Amino acid sequence: MKFTKELVDKFANDLLFSLSEEENKLVLDEFEIIEENMEKISHLAGIQEESAMTHPMEMEEITLRGDEIKEELSTEEVLMNAEVKTKEEIIVPKVVE
Amino acid sequence: MEEGIVSLHEKLVNKEITSEELVKKSLEKAKEAQEKYNAFVTILPDAKGVNKITSLLSGIPYGVKDNYSTKDVLSTGSSNTLKNYVPFFNATAVENLQKAGAVIIGKTVLDEFGMGGTGTTGHTGVVKNPWDETRMCAGSSSGSAASVACGVYPYALGSDTGDSIRKPAAYCGIVGYKPTYGMISRYGLFPFASSLDTCGVLTRSVEDAAIVVDAMKGLDENDMTSWDSSDIHLYDSLKKQTKAKKICIIPEICDIKRYPHASSELKEHLENFQKTLEICKSLGFTVEEVSIDENLLNALASVYIIISCAEATSNLSNLTGIIFGPRGNGTSTLDFIKDHRTKGFSPLIKRRFVIGSYVLQKENQERYFRNAQRVRRLIVDKMKEIFKEYDAVILPVGTGPAKKLKGPYDILDRNTTILEEHLQIGNFGGFPSITIPNGFIDGLPVGVNITGNCYEDEKVLQIASLLESKMPYKGQIAGRKEK
Repeated sequence: MKFTKELVDKFANDLLFSLSEEENKLVLDEFEIIEENMEKISHLAGIQEESAMTHPMEMEEITLRGDEIKEELSTEEVLMNAEVKTKEEIIVPKVVE
Repeated sequence: MEEGIVSLHEKLVNKEITSEELVKKSLEKAKEAQEKYNAFVTILPDAKGVNKITSLLSGIPYGVKDNYSTKDVLSTGSSNTLKNYVPFFNATAVENLQKAGAVIIGKTVLDEFGMGGTGTTGHTGVVKNPWDETRMCAGSSSGSAASVACGVYPYALGSDTGDSIRKPAAYCGIVGYKPTYGMISRYGLFPFASSLDTCGVLTRSVEDAAIVVDAMKGLDENDMTSWDSSDIHLYDSLKKQTKAKKICIIPEICDIKRYPHASSELKEHLENFQKTLEICKSLGFTVEEVSIDENLLNALASVYIIISCAEATSNLSNLTGIIFGPRGNGTSTLDFIKDHRTKGFSPLIKRRFVIGSYVLQKENQERYFRNAQRVRRLIVDKMKEIFKEYDAVILPVGTGPAKKLKGPYDILDRNTTILEEHLQIGNFGGFPSITIPNGFIDGLPVGVNITGNCYEDEKVLQIASLLESKMPYKGQIAGRKEK
């Protein structure tokens, strides 16, 4: 899938923002360099045999928290940063007409 | 406020000064730093000193990068999308410092959500370098670096995903320490790229960095990637006698012969680095060269962008302006969110999100995202091989002193040199890594970086401390010392 102006706009739209013409062009200019580098990388001997590194540390032992409620957020805390709300709820536009 | 932590602590214990007086002085300096360098998002005029001195950090003021959650204190990530966000809890690192009696006096400016290296994309404007106001501090921990460099307090918290503590430290002539990944809990730090993000600190000495991280670190049940470091005592380890160290340089990164068109600034920077290596040798260190495949090094910037953008795209998808953040305009929920994100994010962030989204598409993952993660593995494996034989790698930071504040900023181009990017290796492997000042070029500070193997923070700090003791830059305040 070649990265095109139309695709850049589609992804921006999917990410729920818009880009100006200039911003769209910059994405493609930067990506051209990434593309060149990744093309070189794809030809490195043995690259496909390497395991992808997703995390910096070997997580040999992971201790999970117990499944118990230790503290809960109060309604006040949950609502304190919402701009449009009632005493107990956040107001959003009507979804079902 | 221009002294180190131990000196201030002694004065507090001996009652030569009170915490209240220190806080007052720090607040005055913070106002000055704000006017001159735009270092702060928020200054807390009501900050209070403490009466009981129970630890080295008790009663001493400090700054917090504005991507750490601070209870009841505005925490914006330097983004318009969170310009009015006030958390109801403290990040674990902040909570740990609060338990030690440390006093927050302000929240510092960063590149929006930590995603930038210039200090120019924060929603409150550009941060200026205290050594020369026409130059940048680098980023993303720009305000923390500027405020420590000009003596507002002895330390400020930073976070480091690519070099966000260590490069601003070099540009501002101070110390920047990124510990081993997970040594400090990330709970309450606004996420950028979770597999790379690391909490850390900016100070004016290695000793202060050790003291602060000793207090910040620890296993945290709220961060599954944190680990038990209770047997690591950074400050105490600096007092121990250390045996001669074996360190190496990577010629593909720092050999002047590899830069045939080097500017005079770069030449001077690399010559100065050679002088630093001579000091290392005079300390009894063995200094050798170890090569790394240039193909891997040349791909660093692209690999970093692919991995960090992919992670960021996912991490920051919760910014909708509905539960928190300013509500956008529109008639539908999607309209609200789109308006909120279009107006709220800076152009840099939006570009990076689009790239992150593209490389995560099913049909693109193998070519971009997985191959980037494979290169990450190859580079980290090579570093681990190096650390079997060497205590640390030592390299210059960047291509010289702080760059001029003239855009465009943070745009990937073909002329980007590996010297500007190599600190990202520290994040790929989670390695402990510290920058200390090692000289001046045209009156502006430059830095040198020391990186070691995971969990060997004590060793890395010992090397840095020994080297620091042989150079005249420890504790320097911007513009005060001989340039």
